[in-house]
Amino acid sequence: MGIEGENHSQVSDDMFSILKSPSAGIGPRLGRLSIPGRHTIETPHYLGITSRGAIPHISQDTFARDAHIQGVYVPLEDFIERAPERVPPLYLYKAPDGASPLRRYIALPDQSLLVLGARRCPPVAAPAANSNTDQTVSVSTNVGFKLLHAQDYREAVEKLDADILVALGDIQYGRTLGSKRITKAVDRNIDWLQDHIAARNAQPSKSTRAKLFASLLPVSCDNQKYWVEYLADDAVKHISGLALYDSCTLADMPQQLRHLPVLGFTLPETPHEVLRQVGLGMDVTTIPFITYATDAGIALDFTFPSPESNDSNEVSPRALGVDMWPEVHATDLSPFKEGCQCYACTNHHRAFIQHLLAAKEMLGWVLIQIHNHHTMDLFFAAIRESIRNETFDRDVKEFARVYESQLPAKTGKGPRVRGYQFKSEGPGEPKKNTAPFQVRDKSSGEGNPLMNDANAQQLENQGFAEKTG
Amino acid sequence: MAPRPSPALTFDLAAKCPTTKARAATMHLPHGSVQLPMFMPVATQASLKGLTPKQLEETGCKLCLNNTYHLGLKPGQKTLDAVGGAHKLQSWPYNILTDSGGFQMVSLLKLAQVTEEGVRFLSPHDGSPMLLTPEHSISLQNSIGSDIMMQLDDVIATTSPDLARIKEAMYRSIRWLDRCIAAHQKPESQNLFCIIQGGLDLELRKECCKEMVARDTPGIAIGGLSGGEAKTEFCKVVDTCTSLFPTHKPRYVMGVGYPEDILVCVALGADMFDCVWPTRTARFGNAITDTGEHNLRHAKFADDFGPVDENCKCMICRLPSEGGLGITRAYIYHTAAKETVGAHLLSIHNVHYLLDMMRQVREAIIEGKYPGFLKAYYWRRYAGDKEKYPSWAVEALRGVGVDLMIDD
Repeated sequence: MGIEGENHSQVSDDMFSILKSPSAGIGPRLGRLSIPGRHTIETPHYLGITSRGAIPHISQDTFARDAHIQGVYVPLEDFIERAPERVPPLYLYKAPDGASPLRRYIALPDQSLLVLGARRCPPVAAPAANSNTDQTVSVSTNVGFKLLHAQDYREAVEKLDADILVALGDIQYGRTLGSKRITKAVDRNIDWLQDHIAARNAQPSKSTRAKLFASLLPVSCDNQKYWVEYLADDAVKHISGLALYDSCTLADMPQQLRHLPVLGFTLPETPHEVLRQVGLGMDVTTIPFITYATDAGIALDFTFPSPESNDSNEVSPRALGVDMWPEVHATDLSPFKEGCQCYACTNHHRAFIQHLLAAKEMLGWVLIQIHNHHTMDLFFAAIRESIRNETFDRDVKEFARVYESQLPAKTGKGPRVRGYQFKSEGPGEPKKNTAPFQVRDKSSGEGNPLMNDANAQQLENQGFAEKTG
Repeated sequence: MAPRPSPALTFDLAAKCPTTKARAATMHLPHGSVQLPMFMPVATQASLKGLTPKQLEETGCKLCLNNTYHLGLKPGQKTLDAVGGAHKLQSWPYNILTDSGGFQMVSLLKLAQVTEEGVRFLSPHDGSPMLLTPEHSISLQNSIGSDIMMQLDDVIATTSPDLARIKEAMYRSIRWLDRCIAAHQKPESQNLFCIIQGGLDLELRKECCKEMVARDTPGIAIGGLSGGEAKTEFCKVVDTCTSLFPTHKPRYVMGVGYPEDILVCVALGADMFDCVWPTRTARFGNAITDTGEHNLRHAKFADDFGPVDENCKCMICRLPSEGGLGITRAYIYHTAAKETVGAHLLSIHNVHYLLDMMRQVREAIIEGKYPGFLKAYYWRRYAGDKEKYPSWAVEALRGVGVDLMIDD
């Protein structure tokens, strides 16, 4: 399998440098992702996950000022509702200063790393069992599932000037792949990547160019041997990294690909799982549980490898987060976490957050979201420190000993659920969002309950609308 | 009689419009000074619909509203006392004004019943009967610690045909004002404003003004308006009342928020306004601009890459080269009603729009150019088509010496 125009496209990869790698076999590693003009990202690290161009709840000005998220992942499917019948507005947009149209469109600060891929993270699984074809991938848009052509994808994303592009892959979500399906997916991936690289090489003059990451299938490398061999032998010169959809792919990654940064879309559900994947060599990952926790009203509360406090009365194992719904927080003027330097903890207290959740005020989720991302910033900084000190394995064990294995259960109601967050079950499914209140109707009452026997003094004594339950 | 100086409020008149009744002033309150005339955004439940206090501050806001009724339900008085009031609850270092809770009895609760003792209503939590008295309202507002608190008034719709009931409500509001004043525990740090009632009946309004002005509260509100009455009637009430108010006290017209209404009310001598409209309409995808309200959820904005408002200098509309976000109408279309961030962005713009309009109004008054400002504003709003000018506004402004139909 050859690649046209090879001479144009040697990827000069000074973008990613490995600072520390395991002495033998598989293990955690330290790296540095540097793209001119962006934050230099020390790895392992994570990317914030956007929805329609923003980290849920965090408006762009707050993102720039009060969050310290270094880079974000943006899915193209959020922007292409009526393509190809109608050209998506994003494709028509030209930034006034010639900057990346996508970056300006979503008002992402210049320093933030911008990674663009096809599907949301996590993606809504396509309704059909075989939703992808030799030319198309099923994507979930605002107006339902649509087919995204591989050619349309590569042409569009090349124009949007992201920093990192995740090449289109035939990734089946939520299904185990049989060997035939894997063979088919490998063929498609090779075709699509070949075409993408050829298209890039046909336009060698482009001054700034996104770094291309190839998508591996969510199976072990051994199970997608031809694809891995193709990448190692032919494509490696033209790609700058790998996107992974299952951590099992990391375990038998061949040496020829190990110099590439690995970007995970592996949907870890706990910090323990994040640690496990870092232990396999994951460099940059995406973590849906940050926003899950936020929507559940849970402020993440963990420190790697264990909390700094030496309080011997601590219960063990400790919870990974604090559910902010219970009334015990109602008069608590302490921050989510003592000493936390995030915007929420330095400006607000638990009593306010509890009030905001109970009152269903959107600011509650804004503040928790800021804190939860900050918690992950510190978590990854501590992971890197631990790898640097060669205490990672021991620290992971300590973390597992100290903390519960799962995030706290959700007790309160989250914000309104949106269509792109769940798979529709078809007609007749119950409403996902309940009405917040109902108007009492005079006609339905029996008599007038206002003028019942309770006298004014009694009512006065019981206070004004104190909650009873 | 010169008004008694109030310990928690100083009113410095800066300028009076030589033509209209408009005034520019500075009002010094316990949590800082504010410039009048002003618009106050409504942070109903101690938060301005998704905005952080920092974002609110960035719009230029130095005084926002909280609703006593809502804070009384959640987090409740006990919590407010334990936390140390609403400033501490929401980490808002500037001023807060609270209403009495009476308006929500009318707007939210079908089953509210007013008696001399107070307002009986059913708990929205469990349907049990409850009572809000003037004493309780003040006690709650003392717990909230608002810089400006409002008396409990007997609010009835201005459109009510029942003159006897309107008259009863007006006199009851005076009696309740006396109970509120008597119940007020912290006059040294919190200002209690009276609320003029009397429906659309100018004689009742005058009587109410006379009685309430005599009570010498630090500020005066005109209540019971913006409930769907004819704008002409509304303007007459405002005009009548402000003529009976002392010069050196702030005048607050409750629940008014449309730019054109505010501009006319300023010309009629009012200083303070509040409304949930800028933030509520933002959640529906509506942007407030000099040319009126635009619903950015309309498909025609999908490919519109201009700023939300060409002339606006808010964080949303300024370009990145000017330190802003450079948000386009297309991006608002993209997010409105799909991600809450879209509503947050538009709320910032809309609140900034009204606060900035008030800054311009104040500047124009100080420079003695308010009539010209009014003419220019209406001209822009209706793209020069005078046929479209609302007749109530033209009429009301004629009454204070400005004829929108005649160019300078």
